[in-house]
Amino acid sequence: MQYKSQAVARLYFIAAIGLFVAQILFGLIMGLQYVVGDFLFPAIPFNVARMVHTNALIVWLLMGFMGAAYYMVPEESETELFSPKLAVLMFWVFLAAAALTVLGYLLVPYAGLAKMTGNDLLPTMGREFLEQPLPTKVGIVVVALVFLFNITMTVLKGKKTAISLVLLLGLWGLALFFLFSFYNPDNVVKDKFYWWWVVHLWVEGVWELILGAILAFVLIKVTGVDREVIEKWLYVIVTLTLITGIIGTGHHYYWIGTPEYWQWWGSIFSALEPIPFFAMTLFAFNMVNRRRREHPNKAATLWALGTGVMSFLGAGVWGFLHTLAPVNFYTHGTQITAAHGHMAFYGAYVMVVLTMISYAMPILRGRAANPGKAQVAEMWAFWLMTVSIVFITLFLTAAGILQIWLQRVAATPMSFMDAQDQVALFYWMREWAGVVFLTGLVVYITSFFVKGETAKA
Amino acid sequence: MNPGQLALAETPALRPGFAIGAAHSRQPPGDLAIWVFILAELLAFGVFFISYAVTRLHNVALFDAMQLTLDRNAGALNTVLLIAGSWCVARAVAAIKADRRAAAADFLLGAIACGGGFLVVKLFEYSAKFEAGINLATNTFYMFYLSLTFFHFMHVILGMVILLAVWLKARHGAYSAAEHHGMETGASYWHMVDLVWLVLFPLVYVMR
Amino acid sequence: MNARQLDLIFAALVIGTGITWWLGETGHAGPAAVVAILAIAAVKGMLIIRDFMALRGIGFFWPAMVMGWLLLVQGIILATYWKGH
Repeated sequence: MQYKSQAVARLYFIAAIGLFVAQILFGLIMGLQYVVGDFLFPAIPFNVARMVHTNALIVWLLMGFMGAAYYMVPEESETELFSPKLAVLMFWVFLAAAALTVLGYLLVPYAGLAKMTGNDLLPTMGREFLEQPLPTKVGIVVVALVFLFNITMTVLKGKKTAISLVLLLGLWGLALFFLFSFYNPDNVVKDKFYWWWVVHLWVEGVWELILGAILAFVLIKVTGVDREVIEKWLYVIVTLTLITGIIGTGHHYYWIGTPEYWQWWGSIFSALEPIPFFAMTLFAFNMVNRRRREHPNKAATLWALGTGVMSFLGAGVWGFLHTLAPVNFYTHGTQITAAHGHMAFYGAYVMVVLTMISYAMPILRGRAANPGKAQVAEMWAFWLMTVSIVFITLFLTAAGILQIWLQRVAATPMSFMDAQDQVALFYWMREWAGVVFLTGLVVYITSFFVKGETAKA
Repeated sequence: MNPGQLALAETPALRPGFAIGAAHSRQPPGDLAIWVFILAELLAFGVFFISYAVTRLHNVALFDAMQLTLDRNAGALNTVLLIAGSWCVARAVAAIKADRRAAAADFLLGAIACGGGFLVVKLFEYSAKFEAGINLATNTFYMFYLSLTFFHFMHVILGMVILLAVWLKARHGAYSAAEHHGMETGASYWHMVDLVWLVLFPLVYVMR
Repeated sequence: MNARQLDLIFAALVIGTGITWWLGETGHAGPAAVVAILAIAAVKGMLIIRDFMALRGIGFFWPAMVMGWLLLVQGIILATYWKGH
């Protein structure tokens, strides 16, 4: 690595992978609970497993983004990190907060946890994805602000590149929009309206900027294509992302009590949301095709290309499937949403963090790339996880279509639980695909321990 | 407001072979990236126009009645302003190709002024509508009228920002007969803003 | 494209706009008026694309994309008008 302070990224990457494992294990638990309702009851009820599954995902991706930023920014700014010590300190604060929160979820009934953590002072809990107790939410804000301070100061004292500016814009946006998690109006319509400002404007807005910046950084490194060319395409993608993503928020406002025009705004702009993802796919492949060097890290290149394809499929295509208001009228809140959620999160954010880890981790360990055997193992992990997520998505899509038919379209509609019984076969298939995913994850982790000949970084 | 566009205009030396289809031998004027962006914009407007047309089909009486309440004179005046702006930009490019640098800068300024005029006329139109108590929720026609024209309004502003950046560079003699890639990039975007209005005006203001 | 040609095209565009405005002001409606209005808009669009955007004579792809866009949108507008008439 070029700058000593980049080494802090390693901590973040390791913790991210640890939480990734936790996320997948709880995913398997709740996947089984879909079909064996009392599995692990009362120790781990479904709602708790779900909370851990989704929150662990968010936290490990945030860890990954932070690690990526700590790795990228010194190299982009051509200077050491403003304060490596602060970065390490914040890592432990963040990890401790995450661990305590998960323990709280698992050991204390949720209502008790709310009482213990002062939810009556400022009620913010009990909303999907924003279940964290107040101290955790405050902790996230503190960690994010200190992190942003550290990164911003580094950029300010060093060189300012398009990539670090886009990254900063994304990270500041991330912190800013999280503040809406503290706003919890009594009016349910308003509550949902602003809830999406965290949930949607993260994943379909500012996170995409972070994704674009990370992808651009890795592509410059592994392809050797001119920075100017890559930055220009980054700008085009970012602009398209922001326009379609921000107004596309409307696709969440169809049926929650907001004015009717959101059905038009939401439909039209979110129909265009696949464009930036498609541009990203073209971008990744073109840069790799025009490469000026053969980087020894083949696995990182594979992850980068995978991000391009899978984010387009998961976020672009599967998002478009149910984004138009007349379609969404039938599909909202069904397994179609779950299908889209799985492939979009994996294809866009999981893969981009793994791209970064794949590129940076060998260098942090003092070599340009992992030994050939380790890379082969990593590529096996890539295919196992990617193919199984495709199958999870397909099974959930099938479950969703059947569910919609039985529950919302058929002449004599079934109740929710009756319909769930009818789609159980697909849930079983999804669970088995999940087991394959876990296998892929185990292979992935094993790949870090495969030894062999390596070139120095 | 959009750093991307400024940077595109500032990197004239780049003629990237970002080959989307290798079949075409010659590139459109300006940077290829702006053309990808223009196609995305055209698609967005196209979807909007088609939505309008299809919705009108189901509400012909409402749309025909509401259309009469629009200020057609303002719409026509704005059309002329945009056409004049486009003409200025085209003349600016023609001027720089003849290495008449001062004239090119002046024409660009003329185009920016036309854009400014468009915004002023449009604001008068909006304020009249808002005073009449019209908003997005008034009816489907006005939802479309306000959405479509405001989306276009934002594009005029973006186009003006791009032209302003190009004008500033032109004034400092950054472009010449040999090198005017950046100016053509900005020009292409501005013509797109004009082109979509040429569809919007008859569709929303006139045809019934 | 020289300056004189650009000026002529500008004049044509203004005249086209004037006719469209006149058709609207004098309350012309119905299929004949709409066909005329859309035809004028199409011609104006083509002039912009070919001569101002300067997509004339640069091969097939880009002119086809932009002109195709114009004709497709205008065609759908006309078709929906026809159906609702």
